[in-house]
Amino acid sequence: MLDRIIGPRRTRQFQRLLRNGKVTLLCLVLTIVVLRGNLGAGKFGTPEQDFKEIRDTFYQYRGKRTEPRRVLEELQTTIETTSSAETTNNYAEFDINKLFVDEEDDVKKNPNEPYSIGPKISDWDEQRGEWLKQNPNFPNFVNPNKPRVLLVTGSSPKPCENPVGDHYLLKSIKNKIDYCRIHGIEIFYNMALLDAEMAGFWAKLPLIRKLLLSHPEVEFLWWMDSDAMFTDMAFEVPWERYKDRNLVMHGWNEMVYDQKNWIGLNTGSFLLRNCQWSLDLIDVWAPMGPKGKIRDEAGKLLTRELKDRPVFEADDQSAMVWILASQKDRWANKVYLENHYYLHGYWGILVDRYEEMIASYHPGLGDHRWPLVTHFVGCKPCGKFGDYPVERCLKQMDRAFNFGDNQILQMYGFTHKSLASRRVKPTRNDSSNPLEVKDELGLLHPAYKAVKVSSS
Amino acid sequence: MGQEGAQKRGSSTLPTSTAPNGGSRTGRPLRGGSRQIHKTLNNIKITILCGLVTILVLRGTIGFGSLSTDNDLENQAIIEETNRILAEIRSDKDPDDPEDNQNQPTISLNDTYTLGAKISNWDEERTLWLNRNQDFPNIVNGKARILLVTGSPPGPCDNAIGDHYLLKSIKNKIDYCRIHGIEIVYNMAHLDKELSGYWAKLPLIRRLMLSHPEVEWIWWMDSDALFTDMVFELPLSKYKDHNLIIHGYPDLLFDQKSWIALNTGSFLFRNCQWSLDLLDDWAPMGPKGPVREEAGKILTANLKGRPAFEADDQSALIYLLITKTEWMSKVFVENSYFLHGYWAGLVDRYEEMMEKYHPGLGDERWPFVTHFVGCKPCGSYGDYPVQRCLSSMERAFNFADNQVLKLYGFRHRGLLSPKIKRIRNETVTPLQYVDQFDIRHSGQATATSN
Repeated sequence: MLDRIIGPRRTRQFQRLLRNGKVTLLCLVLTIVVLRGNLGAGKFGTPEQDFKEIRDTFYQYRGKRTEPRRVLEELQTTIETTSSAETTNNYAEFDINKLFVDEEDDVKKNPNEPYSIGPKISDWDEQRGEWLKQNPNFPNFVNPNKPRVLLVTGSSPKPCENPVGDHYLLKSIKNKIDYCRIHGIEIFYNMALLDAEMAGFWAKLPLIRKLLLSHPEVEFLWWMDSDAMFTDMAFEVPWERYKDRNLVMHGWNEMVYDQKNWIGLNTGSFLLRNCQWSLDLIDVWAPMGPKGKIRDEAGKLLTRELKDRPVFEADDQSAMVWILASQKDRWANKVYLENHYYLHGYWGILVDRYEEMIASYHPGLGDHRWPLVTHFVGCKPCGKFGDYPVERCLKQMDRAFNFGDNQILQMYGFTHKSLASRRVKPTRNDSSNPLEVKDELGLLHPAYKAVKVSSS
Repeated sequence: MGQEGAQKRGSSTLPTSTAPNGGSRTGRPLRGGSRQIHKTLNNIKITILCGLVTILVLRGTIGFGSLSTDNDLENQAIIEETNRILAEIRSDKDPDDPEDNQNQPTISLNDTYTLGAKISNWDEERTLWLNRNQDFPNIVNGKARILLVTGSPPGPCDNAIGDHYLLKSIKNKIDYCRIHGIEIVYNMAHLDKELSGYWAKLPLIRRLMLSHPEVEWIWWMDSDALFTDMVFELPLSKYKDHNLIIHGYPDLLFDQKSWIALNTGSFLFRNCQWSLDLLDDWAPMGPKGPVREEAGKILTANLKGRPAFEADDQSALIYLLITKTEWMSKVFVENSYFLHGYWAGLVDRYEEMMEKYHPGLGDERWPFVTHFVGCKPCGSYGDYPVQRCLSSMERAFNFADNQVLKLYGFRHRGLLSPKIKRIRNETVTPLQYVDQFDIRHSGQATATSN
């Protein structure tokens, strides 16, 4: 057909051109596709990533998350059939996430409003002092040397993603209950997220502020992470040492003020006095917390300013280091960085030495010889991903728990068969004169729990 | 890999594209045929190219013809290792147990079992001790000292949900006890291998009584019982002449001899000689093995409605009290409030209660304790559908938690919701609300005289 217009030879050339063009085009498309499939192009990523992204967004609406680290998964896959889900008596078949129903919508926050942890209070010391005077039945000191302390800890109201996480949370709270019973400390176990913007490690700030203001009788608030365990049941915190201080954390002055090291102190276990100074500190501490852009930007600042800090969003510990280092004049004189005993004890250097400690030392020391607190930083037993191997974390948590539990059981004449064993064995014969049995560690009726006898 | 192949194929097509034209110049007789052949060849090559493109695209998007990468293999290995560890933790195997449990001789029917060395003068010993230790009195601020005892098995539950509800249950107890100045002992050890299971509370209660003479009342509470009235306080003055306070119905106990006439999921023992003697009399049906089995048969034969299974502590206590009625003079069978409240009749009415009544009543209008008998969340199978049990437990927990959160100005967004909402704005004078809402100060705590 084209012959008639441009001549046969031209036609043939034209057809050849077309054919070459087709093949060239095909090869081009092929190359692009292969390149894209392997290397990704620009900001669009590979098709696989696209697919993953789409899947993720879809899953998000169903309440699941995928994260790129190592995964801890349940042995049994849940077998759900819509008909049997409501009538099954078998706990393994039930998906707990179907249980929760939020009846009211999230309160939409005005995005233009700057974050505020609460209305500014300036006369808390006066208000509290007045209240204490009017309520002599709720003194802030239970003994002349012993302030009233509230230990605060908590965990998520939803089940852990890790199937044994809740069991370790349970052991951890039992451990705290034991220590606090012996030392006359009250416990508040929090399972509520008070402020959705301050989620994650920042959730403790609105909680602490709320508890300080709602419990004026409490002199010291002791925050303790859920992954920290008491391993010295006999050690009593030296309260008189802190009579002029408002914040006690484990750490080192040089590492915080001189080096600005992000692990110069630890906010997993600290004491905060109930006073105006503390409210002011919380007001200064909170602004880096609100999740989203603020927290990310703050994280970049902290990574820049602090030594050795990896890149991630702002956390409360780094923020505290930065505040103390940059506003030293304002805060440092009321902050005590304690390192003579393990108000927080990093587990990595302690857990292998428990047998040695039992052989050479005794409870009541609180320091490297017999740590007060063993803190399993990085283990994250409730989540799916930790920074350490699962086996090491869980086995060592069992050992630390038993190490502390032995000191409780010895009051009643028992001990664990070994630090790895859940079984207990008696350490003495049952006596028909139980009150004459010696209480070796003096934990049954310690002096700091004595009640002032009033003549009435 | 595919890329090189494609390029190879690509380069191989290019020279051949000239072939048809070249080929068409060869022999005249073959001209038409060879052109056809070359055209066909061309088509085939293009088809192959397209096929290749399609495969590559498919592979790039869906992973068609999957090959697991190194990453996947590593994940698999980690998952397997983790499963092995979890199974090990969950099993009852103990690393330091050289002897098999089967070798342990169980107590035969002829042996007499004792909880411990016989004590006969506990009241005197205790009084002496209290006199010598005036700073550990048994009455503090006008209230008798109470020790709440609860516990759970030392290993993880058969499924994760069980541990989660144990955690919520202990939080619930911590809250009640903090408000009312009661100490808690959470037990996770089997003190006596003979008295295992529900019998484990007996040696525990005895041990705690003897070690804590300053404690006036030992309050046992099951791990599946939740406080649902945070304001209600035990009317201890009612019990000054009694030593065992237990929820139940006297007519079910004496007339019908029912096996559920009393409930040993929540009861109080006074710390005295009488209690030690009762525990000694109660224990003999407990030792596991033939003793417990035989005792179970006796109990099933004598108690109304009891199914056939080994002896449990509740049936044994009922049987003891109806056969040796001299114990009853010091036993107070309480049913004016729910020291134990069977959950099925209560959990659906929480919204109605919130509307019509208020905390502090402790009875069917606002139950003191909601006890989830039969749910057994720590095991694998309960007596009721899981959905019903768990949603009811969640509702009871949130119902109670609302009473605690009221002081802080929050409540749950519905009884099945783990999220909370604000019910009171923040203020610069928070202490006015403390006086109003803190259960300890406001005088909301019922001063019970009946």
